[in-house]
Amino acid sequence: MRRTYLGEFEEVVLLMVAILDGEAYGVTVSQALEEHTGRLVTFGTVHNTLIRLEEKGFVSSELGGATADRGGRRKRLFKVTALGSRALQDIQELRSHLWQLVPPNALKISGL
Amino acid sequence: MNAPENRPEKPVQPPRWARWLLTRLHPAETLEEVEGDLDELYTYWYRRAGKTQATLRYLLNVVSVLPPFVRKRHTQKDHSPLSNRHPDMLRNYFKVAWRNIIRQKTYSILNIAGLSIAMASSILILLWVQNELSYDRFHRNSEQLYRLICSAGDFRAAVSPAGMGSGLQAEMPEIEASLRLSKSSTHLFEAGGNKFEEKRVFFADSNFLQFFSFDLLQGNAKTAMRDPGGILLTEEMAEKYYGTEPALGKIIRINNKENFIVAGILATSPSNSHLQFDFIIPMAALAKSNYDLRNNVWDRFNFYTYLQFNKNSSSVDIQNHIPRIQQIYKRHNSDGKIDFQLQPLTSIHLHSDLQIDVPGHGNIQYVNIFFIVALFIIAVGCINFMNLSTAHSARRTKEVGMRKVVGATRFQLVGQFLSEALIVSFISLLIAVGVVYLFMPVFNTLTEKKLAVHLQDGDLLIKLVGIAFITGIISGSYPALFLSGFRPVSVLKGKFTFAGGSLLFRNGLVIAQFVVAIVLLIGTAVVYNQMNFIKNKNLGFEKSNLLYTPMTGDLWSKLAVYKDALRQNPLTSNFSVISELPAALISGTIDVEWEGRDPNSQVVIPSIDVDENFIDVFKMKILTGRSFSAAFKGDSSNYMINEKAMQVMGMNAGNAVGKRISFGGTKGTIIGVVKDFNFKSLQYVIEPLVLRLNKWGGLVMVRTQPDNTEATIKVLEGINQELNPAYPFTYHFFDKNLDDLYRSEQQMGRIFNLFAALAIFISCLGLYGLSAFMAEQRTKEIGVRKVLGASVTGVVALLSKDFLRLVLIAIVIASPIAWYTMNRWLQSFAYKIDIQWWLFVLASLLTISIAMLTVSYQSIKAALMNPVKSLRSE
Repeated sequence: MRRTYLGEFEEVVLLMVAILDGEAYGVTVSQALEEHTGRLVTFGTVHNTLIRLEEKGFVSSELGGATADRGGRRKRLFKVTALGSRALQDIQELRSHLWQLVPPNALKISGL
Repeated sequence: MNAPENRPEKPVQPPRWARWLLTRLHPAETLEEVEGDLDELYTYWYRRAGKTQATLRYLLNVVSVLPPFVRKRHTQKDHSPLSNRHPDMLRNYFKVAWRNIIRQKTYSILNIAGLSIAMASSILILLWVQNELSYDRFHRNSEQLYRLICSAGDFRAAVSPAGMGSGLQAEMPEIEASLRLSKSSTHLFEAGGNKFEEKRVFFADSNFLQFFSFDLLQGNAKTAMRDPGGILLTEEMAEKYYGTEPALGKIIRINNKENFIVAGILATSPSNSHLQFDFIIPMAALAKSNYDLRNNVWDRFNFYTYLQFNKNSSSVDIQNHIPRIQQIYKRHNSDGKIDFQLQPLTSIHLHSDLQIDVPGHGNIQYVNIFFIVALFIIAVGCINFMNLSTAHSARRTKEVGMRKVVGATRFQLVGQFLSEALIVSFISLLIAVGVVYLFMPVFNTLTEKKLAVHLQDGDLLIKLVGIAFITGIISGSYPALFLSGFRPVSVLKGKFTFAGGSLLFRNGLVIAQFVVAIVLLIGTAVVYNQMNFIKNKNLGFEKSNLLYTPMTGDLWSKLAVYKDALRQNPLTSNFSVISELPAALISGTIDVEWEGRDPNSQVVIPSIDVDENFIDVFKMKILTGRSFSAAFKGDSSNYMINEKAMQVMGMNAGNAVGKRISFGGTKGTIIGVVKDFNFKSLQYVIEPLVLRLNKWGGLVMVRTQPDNTEATIKVLEGINQELNPAYPFTYHFFDKNLDDLYRSEQQMGRIFNLFAALAIFISCLGLYGLSAFMAEQRTKEIGVRKVLGASVTGVVALLSKDFLRLVLIAIVIASPIAWYTMNRWLQSFAYKIDIQWWLFVLASLLTISIAMLTVSYQSIKAALMNPVKSLRSE
């Protein structure tokens, strides 16, 4: 079965959206990325990735929550869709399955 | 975020120019959220790292969301207004159009019927016009071919002398070829046991097949006309004489004495050729016995001469050759007073009003008139459509309002209504083509043509589609502009009322329709009256009960015996032997001398050879002097003249008798003056005429006793068969010949009649629709009026009044137009009616009554309706 390809950065951003749970929008996703992974990325990268995720159907969005400190401009809030959460779980399962296949000493040695 | 030290949260602003850049370049779909996000981030950075850091990062991030880095957001909600060429929209337009056609059946039928009748009649007329305009254009060099014609004063004729064609060609290098053609003559043909008299026989020079482009089906085009004993006949004739057997090389006997060999089979002469022939005989066969040909004369006008000019001469160049021709003619014939003209081959059919011409010409005036009539009829059809759809727009106001509210632009609505009009006009075209097919035979009988529709002909197809397209656009334009201009708010609130402007426009259209119809109606009446006038005009003799038989074969040599035989039977004893029919005299000469003649005058005087009984048989009147008489032996060198000739020669009733004149070189004395009678079509005034004593024959005209016509024919046949057994007996009625002179006018009258009726019918279709609509709109009003005591007549009058007014206005406008055009037409007759005022009254009354009859059905229906019904529903 061929599923939609989810890139590494996309996966991280998708996880961030899941972590933020309803509070995810451009600013919070950028800040969470910086906070949890230490990665500094431009806002454009986050913006584009969110759009791409939405096109692939992993997140959905709606406009809302205008506040004064944004000059009354609305935020685009993102939510993980069923398809998105399914994709994340698939990746998780695949990973743990693969981990179990790794021989016990293989990584320890190279890790040392 | 949480920055307790900055309690009074002072909004910090990123550099204005950077934000300006963002607003200008960032995609509009995501601008709001991105701008907000970046503002928030700027505040966040500002608090954490200070202004410089924040500005730098802000700039970097702005750039990261500018094209080409930024990704454009495509959402499902991305709906710009649908283009009206979108398949969904198109489907919707078709669906709505179709539903409208189906739902309003009466109006659709009226619309489509009107349009398709209009189209069908226009197509028929245009086919006819096209055919008339196509005459003689099928010849390869049609633009280079000219006919040499001559004139003397007002007398213009299509003939020229036998010697001129080759003579001019020898002296003028511009002339590439010349061809002479004899006037058509009647001969008796016999082959394969079949024996017929044929009228469409021409003698032609040997380059006939090269000069013209008539198709030779069998035989050798190069040699077929070389042998003076050969003959060309048409396919049709080959079948008539030889049936299915091959005709080529067979012998055909002419006039019981000469044998010709069929040297070629021609295709039947194309219907759009001014020359209509059945047999072509080489000129050499005629040359043996013909004085003109043997001597190559330059002073006797008996042949048609065609000239081919070289390729690079324009029509202007060619007309410039006329002085040269005149010069050359003068050299050969120093006392000739004839002028020459060159007539383009392609204008012979329509622009010819020459005497001594081949028969069956058209008339450019009729072509123009009919073209205009076709346009008028189409216009009437279009007006119907406009009127009905504008009137019914009230039913569609809601639709237009809705469409506008959900975002239709005016342009789209115009497109929608135009395409609806186009659908209707194309449906009409399909029906019209069917109607044309159906009525083609009738129309062909009416016009005596062989028209046909060939739909495989791409040219015609394009024209038909063009007609439908233009009709659709024109008839759809006003309703489209009108309907698309509704204001959605007032329409949907139901406040909509018709503006006075549209009503005025609609009334104008109805008036225009009726103007056309009335003009055509008056035209028909005038044509009919004029034809009647011609039929009943006193020609100066009694034309009824005259029948004649042409003299053929042995009768010429047995003239005395023949006359005796006729004289002995009381049925045929009232006869006269004359040289030609006094219906369309085609001979004339300028070689006439009388005392005191102006040497420069160009008077052409025709002549007719008559016997002693002529005046009695035709019941003419003698003004002075006496008729030819057997009692006077010297009459063969005497002349009679007509009244007009007497005036032209400057004599009067008192002194004419006894004067000496010279006619065609022969001197003689005038013994009598006959009262003027018409010997040509009534399009010409009476010309001077000289009558000579007939000693040689021609045709025998018998005045029959009423009720004894059949018996007379029997007797005549008996005498002819006895004296001239080799020839079939033929007879004709003289009044029939006279009527035939006005064939094209009568034809025009009939066609006019038909189309006038159609125009009125189409107008009434429209009127019917309008009145139905009006009655429907005023249902409530009528109900209230009836409840308050209005009578049925009152209501009918109320509803009819408006239409009556329109028709009256139309009458006022149409009358002068009709009067002017019909007067122009009458100018082509020397003898014409005055257009009577009662014609206008009659036409007006007819139109009014037809219109009122149409309207009354609906208005009476509305007036009789039970007011309870119309008022109950609210």
